[in-house]
This record gives sequence, C-alpha cells and structure tokens, in this order.
Amino acid sequence: MLNYIWAGLIVFSLLFAMASDVTDYVSNTYENGTERTVILSFPEGASEAKRQNVQFRIPDDSGTDSDKLFRAEWYPSESGTELIIPVQDGLPPLWLEIAENQDARDRSQLRALVTAQVTGIAGVSIVLPEVHLIKMRAITAAAFDMAEFAVTLAIGLIGIMALWLGLMKIAEESKLIFKLVKVVNPVLGFLFPNVPKDHPALGAISLNLSANMLGLGNAATPLGIKAMEELQKLNPDKETATNAMCMFLTMNTASVQLVPPVTLIALLGVGVSELFYSIIIATFISLCTGILAASYYARKFPEQTVHTDDSVSETA
Amino acid sequence: MQILSILVLPLIIVAIPLYGLLKKVNVYEVFVEGAKEGFQIGVRIIPYLVAILFAIGMFRASGAMEMLIDLLGPVLALVGFPAEVIPMAIMRPLTGSGSVGVMADLIAAYGEDSFVVKVAGTMFGSTETTFYVLAVYFGAVGVRKVRYAVQAGLIADFAGVIASVAVCYWLFG
Repeated sequence: MLNYIWAGLIVFSLLFAMASDVTDYVSNTYENGTERTVILSFPEGASEAKRQNVQFRIPDDSGTDSDKLFRAEWYPSESGTELIIPVQDGLPPLWLEIAENQDARDRSQLRALVTAQVTGIAGVSIVLPEVHLIKMRAITAAAFDMAEFAVTLAIGLIGIMALWLGLMKIAEESKLIFKLVKVVNPVLGFLFPNVPKDHPALGAISLNLSANMLGLGNAATPLGIKAMEELQKLNPDKETATNAMCMFLTMNTASVQLVPPVTLIALLGVGVSELFYSIIIATFISLCTGILAASYYARKFPEQTVHTDDSVSETA
Repeated sequence: MQILSILVLPLIIVAIPLYGLLKKVNVYEVFVEGAKEGFQIGVRIIPYLVAILFAIGMFRASGAMEMLIDLLGPVLALVGFPAEVIPMAIMRPLTGSGSVGVMADLIAAYGEDSFVVKVAGTMFGSTETTFYVLAVYFGAVGVRKVRYAVQAGLIADFAGVIASVAVCYWLFG
C-alpha cells in the first residue's frame, strides 16, 4: 500500500504539473512575447544612449492607475536596450507573477527588452521576460528542498531523542519502567496480545500515549521510538512490521489528545479552549476506529504467513 | 489540564534520575549509555524521511491539491461537508507544516470565530501527520515493510475528519 501511495504521489505530481503547464502554454497565461507600451520620462537634458534611472507610466493596463509613476533603470547596451524594472508596489498583478516565476535567478526585478522606440516620443514598446514550465520547475525544486529539509528535521531530533533515551535507560535500569508496566498491563495487554505481560515495551507505549494525551509532542516522538525499539526486540523478522507495531502506529496517528497541540494554541490563542470538547470527541472516535481497523487487519493477515509468504507483506 | 501538561515534564525529568539514584543506579553513566542511541536513530530515519517528504513536497508543489479541491468540493458540499476545510482534511495526514499553513490561511480568510475555522481546528487537533509518524517510527527501527499500518492509520484519519465535521455541527452548528 505504501509503495502505491508513494509512487502515486510522485507520478501524479508530474502529471498534474504537466497538465498545468500545458494549460498555461495553450492559453498563454503569462502573455509571453506580448509587446506592451509604457510612457517613459527621462530626467531633463539626459541622453538616451546612457544608463540612467527613469520613471514610467503604464497607459493602457486595466486595473492599474495609468498616472502612477514607476521606477526603472534605462540600460542601453550593444545587444539592445533593456528597461530594468524593480519589483515595486502597484505593478500590474500579472507583471508581479511574471517576476515571481521568470527564468532569471534574480526575482526582484524584471528585465524587459525594449523592442521599439520612437525618437522624440516618450512611448516605447517593451517585452517582459517569458515564463515557461512553472509547475515543472516547482516540483523539481520541491523535491530537492524537501530532501534537504528531511535531513534538517532528522538532525534536529537527535538532541531531544538523546535526552529521552537517556532518561528511559535510567528508568529501565532502576526497574521503574516495570512498575509502570504492571499498572498499564490490564488495558494495554488487551490491545497488544502478542507482547509478553511484563515486557518493557508496554511501559514505553504507555509513556508515549500519555505524552500524546498531554500534547507534549517533542517528548512523545522519542518515547514512541523507544517503544518501537522494544517492539522490534520481539520481532522475528526485523524488516517487517508486527501486528503490535501496526496497532501502536495506528494509535499514534489517531493521536489521543486531551490538550490541544501547541501549534494550534499558537495559531488560535485563547479561542482554542472552545475546541476542547470537539477535539476530544473527534480524537476518541478516530482512535476507536483505528483500533478496530488495526485489529481487523491483524486477524485478516496473521503474522505467521508474513514470515513464510513475502507476497502478503508486498501487497499489504 | 494545560497546567498539568506544563508541570508534568519537569517532574518526570527530575523524578526518573532521582528514583534511579535511590535504587543505587549510576545515573550519569546509564544516562549517557542510553543517550548514545539518539544520534544513530536520528541518522537512521533520514532515508525514510527523505523518501516520504520529497514525494509529499512534489505533490504539494504540483498544484494537484487545488485540482482535487475543485473536483471534490461540489460533491462533498452535497453531504454538508464544508468545502473550505477540504485542504485541511487532505493535508493533515501528509504534512505538519503544510497543515499549519492551511490553518493560518483559513484563520486569515474566515476569522477565528467562524465555523470553518472551528471544523479545521478540530481536524488539526484530532488527527496526526500519519506519513511523518510512519516514516519516523518505522525508520527508527529499520522496518521497511509496513504491512497494513498505512491503511489502518488512514482509516483512523478518515474517521477523525468525518467526526470533526459532525461534532462541530452538533456543538457549534
């Protein structure tokens, strides 16, 4: 299943990006190659053969104040004259979009080519940079950016993980974790029938679930990983998930929360207290559904077949 | 409850070494021994996280989300599912930062007290970023064949989404 979802995300993003770019091309969304007229005003006594700062108006673009003056740089060179327009307030929305999506690396300006200039008259025709294959470039950039971000995220976890794993080791050595296991066993033992009654895995699971309930996200993750390590010790096939792991994962993705997550509090402020009951009810329903689903699958795909018959895990 | 959640962390962090000390455990040495693993796990989950996050990143950047919303919106509106919260329902299992963005957008567009924001907030609070949890937890122990964990997780998410809408109609509707 994960194989299909993963491949599906990648293939569909390519298809959607292509569809979107083809639509842009056909309807010429960015008006590539269109000549536009602007009215320039040079400083008094200036020569048009020199680089200089100028101002211009856009006479016939609907939605823009035709009297508004914009800043630009007049840039004559051997290969032709350019009008370098810095991105500024009041430019037509389409121009801003072109600046955002152009090929040039510097997105803070538009280098428009001056195609026609009538000497003596201030009106010139310019062609804005062309915009091609926006979504194609966007998905490539996203792939690389996210790959980098994944490493940042993983490295960022190391410190907090070390802290909790250290504390958990003390709890193990001092037998504190086994005391906890005795307390939670009646409830959790029922959900994890394949985990031995006195196994520390149940302790780690209960700590992770409590951390989740209290909205302690950065404690919950290391504790959850600790629980996974304990469950892995009971796993005969180290590359394949056990039923207990799947049940644990499902309970985590359903996220039993009694306190709203910190990010939500940050976004909503005091308003979040209104959502207190709705979140608890919704999360409880999703937890129960998850547990039912996981136990249904556990019965449908018993573990023994997984070790002998690889195809079960492949199709699952 | 919020006060409890602030108090519980410092108490646990102090209580565990204290208990160890009373039980004559060499707390410092044992702590370091356990903490060593933190680095290995951090490195071990990298390939899993890269795999999941880059695929989701591409999907988000492709504009597929907007098309899905356009397609699903009218259909879901028929059964009373507010179309505005569809981005949250789709985003939440995929990415944490993405769903925070959706939440912020909705607050900006509809205001904190709107029904839409309440539904989206309930969804945000009641479900988790399934694929991230999957990548990190299975990645940490090197499990590649996740069997039915995805399906079960998504079923739980789906139930959470439906429940959020229903509960909000009941409480605030």
